[in-house]
Order: sequence, then C-alpha cells, then structure tokens
Amino acid sequence: MNSKDPLRLLLGPQRPVANIGSALAGSGFGGGPIGVISAAWQEAEGDISVLQGLVENPLSDLRLYQKAEALFAADTRLHDAYRSRQERLKEQQRLYRLRLRQLMIAARATLRAEGEPSVIAAERRHAISQLRALDQHHLRQIEKIHARFDTAFNVDCHTALAEHSAAFVEALSRFDSLLITGGNVVVLMNRLRLFGIDQQLDRKNIVAWSAGAMVLCDRIVLFHERLPQGRRDAEIMCRGMGLLPGIVLLPDARGRLRSRDSHRVSLFDRRFSPASCITLDNGSHLLFEGKTLRESEAARRMTRNGKFKRVRAA
Amino acid sequence: MNPALRKLVRKAAPDRAEIDAWIKELDFPLVDGTDVTFVFRGTADAVYLRCWIAGLDTAQPFQALAGTDLWATTIDLPKGSRIEYKFEVVSNGNKELILDPLNDIVAHDPFGANSVCQASGYERPEWTLHDPQARSGSLESQKVESSVFRESREIQVYLPATFRKNRRYPLLVVHDGVDYLRYADLKIVLDNLAHRLEMHPVIVALIQSPDRLKEYSGDDRHARYLVEDLLPSMSDTFPLVDSPDSRCVMGASFGGVAALHAAWRYPEHFGSLLLQSGSFAFSDIGRHRRGPVFDPVVRFMNEFREHPGRPADRIFMSCGMYESLIYENRSLVPHLQSKGVDLRFEEARDAHNWENWRDRLRIGFSWLLPGPAWMVYE
Repeated sequence: MNSKDPLRLLLGPQRPVANIGSALAGSGFGGGPIGVISAAWQEAEGDISVLQGLVENPLSDLRLYQKAEALFAADTRLHDAYRSRQERLKEQQRLYRLRLRQLMIAARATLRAEGEPSVIAAERRHAISQLRALDQHHLRQIEKIHARFDTAFNVDCHTALAEHSAAFVEALSRFDSLLITGGNVVVLMNRLRLFGIDQQLDRKNIVAWSAGAMVLCDRIVLFHERLPQGRRDAEIMCRGMGLLPGIVLLPDARGRLRSRDSHRVSLFDRRFSPASCITLDNGSHLLFEGKTLRESEAARRMTRNGKFKRVRAA
Repeated sequence: MNPALRKLVRKAAPDRAEIDAWIKELDFPLVDGTDVTFVFRGTADAVYLRCWIAGLDTAQPFQALAGTDLWATTIDLPKGSRIEYKFEVVSNGNKELILDPLNDIVAHDPFGANSVCQASGYERPEWTLHDPQARSGSLESQKVESSVFRESREIQVYLPATFRKNRRYPLLVVHDGVDYLRYADLKIVLDNLAHRLEMHPVIVALIQSPDRLKEYSGDDRHARYLVEDLLPSMSDTFPLVDSPDSRCVMGASFGGVAALHAAWRYPEHFGSLLLQSGSFAFSDIGRHRRGPVFDPVVRFMNEFREHPGRPADRIFMSCGMYESLIYENRSLVPHLQSKGVDLRFEEARDAHNWENWRDRLRIGFSWLLPGPAWMVYE
C-alpha cells in the first residue's frame, strides 16, 4: 500500500438517513477544510448549511454551476456552441437508445431461452458481445462530439474558460479533500469537464455520494427501472473521470432497480462485465485507498446469475 | 347479498338504533370483492342507481328491504374500477337525483357533483394530492389578442416553481384548462410531477373556450387561433423552446378532438398530443347517432380517418373502458400507429369524467414530457 494513495469515500443517497458524518469521521480524511462541488444541485448549488451540520470539517463550495451560468451569460458564442453540442449529444443518445432497445430485447430473449445448452450459450455470448460493441461505439461517438467542442473551446486557449479554469486550479490547491454531492449526474459531469476539473482531481481525497460517486468511474451508466412509464434499459451517458476504473456504481439501487428480476440483473452484470456493478443505497459506504477497497458497508455487487452479493473489502 | 347487509336483515326487524349503529360502522357503498352494494335509507316509492356506464343500465332499481327503511342494489364491478353515480329517488310521482347520503366521496364537474364508488383495488394516486414538499408553481392571467375571433381572450398561464427567465421551457396547451385545474387538480399534478422529477418543468397555456361545443368540434377557426394567435403570444411573452417537439397540446372529450384537429390542420407545429377520452365519433356508412352537436366532429373524423397524415410524432391516448367512446378511441390506435406515430394508449376502468383524466396524467406527462429523474441520483 502506498501511504500517499488518495482516499475515495463513496456513499449512497443521504436521505432518509445521512451517513456522511460518521463515514467521514472514521475514514482518515483528517479535519482540514473540504472543497465542495455541488453543481449537481443546479440552482440550489452552494446551499450547504445542512451538509455543514453533518460534517465537522469546514466546507467551502466551489460554485461550478453558477460560474458556468455566468460564463454562458457573458459569452454567447460559447453558450451557443455548448447548446449545440448538447443537442448533438441528445441526438446521439436517441439513436443509441433506438438500437439498444432491439439488442436488449434480443439479449433478454436469449437469456430466457431454453434448449440445448451449448447452442444457447453461444447465442447468449454473441448477444452480450453485440451489446458491448454498441456501448463502446456509442461512447466513442460521444467522445467525438465532446472532442469537437473541446477543440473549438479549449480550456487553455479560450480566454474566459482559461481564466475560470486557472481560478479553479488555484481554489482546488487550497484543499486536500473534496466533497462531491449527488444530484443531476449529467450536469455535474458537464461542468467538471467544461472547466477541466475532471483532469485535476486524481491526487485529491474525495468523498462523494450518488451522482458524485458515479462521475469517479470510467463510464457513467444511467439506469432507472421504476419510472412511471415503465422499465428503461440502462444507457451509457459518457465517460467519467476514470478515478475508479472497473466499477459501475448504482446509487439508490433499491429504489431504481427491479432487483428480483434475476434475468435483468444477470444481463446488467454481463453487459458491463468485467466491471463490477455495485449498489450504493442509503446507508452504504465504500472506502478506497487508491484502487484498493479498504472498507465496505451495505454495498452489494451484481452477479452473473442475477443475484447480489455483499461487497467485501480486501 | 352483501354479508354485512345479510347479517342486518337476518334479524326479524332491526330497530332504528340498530340500523343507525350498522350504518355508522361501515363505509358505503359496501364493497365485497367485485360485488358492490349501494344502500339508500329513507321513504320512497322507488329508488334507482343512476350511473353513466356503457354496458350497464343507466337506471338500476333498488329493492326495499322488508322491515326496514333501507333500499339496496348490487352490481358487479371489476377490481380497480371507479365509477361516478347518483341516486334517483321517486316519491309521490316526483323524481329527484341526489348524491349518496352515506358516501362522503364526491367528484365535481362543470355540471355539479357525483358520488364516487371506488371498487376494490382502486386507490386515489398519491401524486394527485397536495404534497407539502413540492414547491408550488404560479398561475397568471394573460390576454391573447385573437385576429381569428376578433376579440381579446383571457387565458391562464402556469409557470413551474423552478421558473427562471433565462431558461427555455416546453409549452403545453390545455383545452378546457380552467376545468382541468378545478376538477382534475392539474396544478397539484404539475407541481408534484415536477418535484418528483418525473415531468419536465413546462409552461402551460390553459385555454377555455366560450363556446367549446362549436369551437372544439373540428373548427378550423380554433386551429388557426392556436397556431396564429396563441403560439405567437406565448412565444412573445415567455421563454419557450422554439421547436415542435417541445410543444404539446392536450384535451379531453371535445378538447381531445380540438387538439387532434389543430395538429392535423397544422402538422409539424405540435410534436406531441395528449388525448383523453376524445370524442372521436365517426361513421363508416349512414348517419351517426350521437346528435347534431357531433355533426362537425363526425365530418372531421371521417376526413381525418381518410387522410390522417401524421399529426404529431408522439401521441398519448387514454380512455375509460366504461364510456361509449372506448370503441372510437380503440379504433384510432392502429390507424395512427400505421402512420408511424409513436403512440401509447391507456385504458382505465373508469368513465367519461375528470378524475379518470386526472388519474392518467402522470403516465401521459412523464412519457411525453419526461423529467430528469433518469439523470438525477440524489
């Protein structure tokens, strides 16, 4: 173990019961000030008084969301390009969803199929490999759209962006530890990326819950099987920061997943394998030191046979 | 016979106090599986259950229970049903329609009120009730200068609780909008669904016609009013996403006809439609039998069925199984789907009333105007 490996404390939703205070207290973060990224709360960003009541460390919000809004208001060219990028991303997501639906139907059918095992096994493998290929293709397309925008509005060259980015680098230097809240994961990742903050956090200790934890993974997987209009298949949204590779985090899995449908769970697990799909429900916590899992509480991982197993620390 | 009723009348002649006690401890109507027993207490020559349910007699007679002043009748009501009804009490040659005196659950509509029977398995959805956690949107009045009708029309506009002038919002146009507010708790539903992130925050234009049976019956003037008067007025006043796929128009009954007609007359103006119990009467041959008020509707629907085009990309339709319009609504589904419309159709064990329409709003709105629940991990 390298004693300088940064800590990553991952939590589930902080409602109905918040465990951030107790989890943080016993995790080795120390008592120093913590920078907060609450951009996922959008308009409510920075409203951290309740959070401060739960945590002993002094908290200070970096106001990413508000600074992005101010930047958009001041630089209409940037804002228009950003909107246009978002429209392209939406269109890409729509087309991906269109293709995904058919592949998921086929994959589910092969998982449920009965008959000669060797024949079925080959078809299952192929159905899963098609899903993975589509996911990879989609991620590449998403990254191309981002790259086009990043080239036009490079954080190092675009004056306003460069100024904000430098200010954030300076602000980040004041904190050894950061706290990233839950909320809208897409907004959060977009803001982190806009200011290049996603490239600045690899040496920071990070405590994060729900959406905040999801952005630390290498891929952000959206999922919700209990929407009013019915089940929806999990979708890859974009890349994450890649600080916790090989993990797909599933906050509020009890509320969002149909955990008793073993075929769905099995397909979810196989599709994202070799990554581990790990639930983060209210009360869960995982503590990584670097990439080594040191503590695990009430977190479960999906298994190939459609069940859940408790996640055990090393 | 209902077991509770059987227990009471098994006694030779239950006295007044015993009947009082019996009534006090029960909820009416009496629901026993799919048997629903309605009870009336009082002096009368005859009593009828009046409900407007396709497939049931509109007047179901009660039977007097010997030795008591009770009357009762039982109907078979499938699980999950919800029906509205009144009692018709005949006394000395006079007929009087009254609410069920033993049932406090009442639904209102522009014509008054009805008693509500909630069969086994029906529960009022909690998202239709005021949620103190949900921030309240606001309502304001706006004048729309209509070149079509050559007058100024007042509409109500709903702005979501999270409204910001520097954001752009989808537009939802609601026919009979004030009635939706009054009788289908539309504002509560909008507030709640936005709070739960199940529906995108929207700006809502709530329109109310002074002559709905005419203007909502497939009237070209109304379609022009929507497109040439209302939409520009809303765009000038509010920050709207200027794109058909961010415009939805909805309505119930004749309001559903008006919504479909406007989208058909002006294709590519409205990306989605929400049509509830649309009065989509048509005739394949001969005359329809729905009365003269339906003449223009039938003319429009016949033409529409002949040349449907593609009025919108996405359509959500709902209809009660217990309304006569279920046939017309069901028949429209494959018709629209064959034109490539992405369509969802929901049937409910309910009839042609506002609470049926209220109870279907969540699935309709969350499908047509989905909120960010998918992307929010609190």
